[in-house]
Amino acid sequence: MALVVLAVVFVVVAGLYAVGALQFMVSDPHASHHYTHAILFAVLAVASLIGANFARAKGTA
Amino acid sequence: MGLLQGATELFPVSSLGHAVLVPSLLHWSFRQSDPSFVPFLVLLHLGTAGALLFIYRTQWVDIIKGFFAAALRGRIEKPSERLAMLLLVGTIPAGILGVFLEHELKSLFASPVAAASFLALNGFLMLGFEVLRRRAEKRAAIDAKTRVEQEESFAVAEQISFKAAALVGACQALALLPGISRSGVTIGGGLMAGLRHQEAARFSFLLATPIIAAAGVLEIPQLLASSVPLSEYLAAAVLAGTAAYLSARFLLRYFRSGRLDPYGWYCVAAGIASLALLTFRP
Repeated sequence: MALVVLAVVFVVVAGLYAVGALQFMVSDPHASHHYTHAILFAVLAVASLIGANFARAKGTA
Repeated sequence: MGLLQGATELFPVSSLGHAVLVPSLLHWSFRQSDPSFVPFLVLLHLGTAGALLFIYRTQWVDIIKGFFAAALRGRIEKPSERLAMLLLVGTIPAGILGVFLEHELKSLFASPVAAASFLALNGFLMLGFEVLRRRAEKRAAIDAKTRVEQEESFAVAEQISFKAAALVGACQALALLPGISRSGVTIGGGLMAGLRHQEAARFSFLLATPIIAAAGVLEIPQLLASSVPLSEYLAAAVLAGTAAYLSARFLLRYFRSGRLDPYGWYCVAAGIASLALLTFRP
C-alpha cells in the first residue's frame, strides 16, 4: 500500500514538473516545462507500482 | 569527433574527458558554449545507443518481454525477467543523480584541467578495481588457474543481487564528472559485485543503453529547433555508431580474459600528460 501511495506522489510530482509548477533543482529555472524531471518521476512511479505488485504477489503466496 | 566519441564512450577511458581534453590540446575549433554543440553531442550519443541496441537486439527483445511479464505477474520466473528488473534497479540511481546533479557538476568541472585530473583519478580507480579483484581471486584460491578458468568462477549478470545492481547503477553517476568513465566505473562496480569481466562489460553496456538513448531522445526537439548542419552531424553520428559497434565487439572479446589494467595505466598516463601540457604550454 505504501508503494502505491508513493507512486501517486511521484505521478503528482511528475505532473508538477511537466507543467513547470515545480522548480526544485532544475538547470534552467526560467524554462516553462521540465520534461526530464517529469520523465524521471514517471519512471519512479512505474517502479513503485511494480514494487507494489511484487509485494502483493509475495503476500498472497 | 564522431569517431573519438564513439570509441571512447564504451572504452573505460571517459568520452566526456576526451571530448573536453582533445579539442583543447589539439586547438580544435569546438566551442562547447556554442548552441550547436549540445545537439551535436546528442546525435553522437544516439549513434552510440543505436550501435548498442543493434549488438544486443535479441537480448533487448527478451528483456522488454521479461520486464512486462514480471511486472504484471509480480514474480520473476526467468533469467531474462531478472535481468530486466536488475536493469531497472540499476538505472534508477543514475537517473536520479543525473537529472538533479548533471548541470551543477558539469558547470563546476567542465575545465580541461579538471577533466585531466579526473582522467588520472579514473585510471587509479580502474587499477584499484583490479587490485580488489586479484584479492578476491586469491581468497577463492583460483589465482593459480588460467585466466579463462578464473573468470568462469565468477557470476553472470542475471545472478547478481538487486542491491549490487543499484550500487553499479549509482557508480554510473560518477561519470557525470568529466574524466571519469561511465563504462569504467560500472565495469568496476560489476567486478565488485562478483561478475566476470565480460559479464560486467555486458551489464555496463545494457545499463548504458536506456540512459544514453533517453538523454539523446530528450534533446531531439532542441536539435530540430536549431539551425545546425544536419547532414554533417548525421555523418558524425554514423561514424560514432560504427566506432561504438567496433569498440563493443572488441571489448566483449577482450574481457573474456583481459583486465582493466591497460586502460587504467592509459588513463593515469593520459591524465598526467594532459595536466602537464595544459599547465606548461605557452
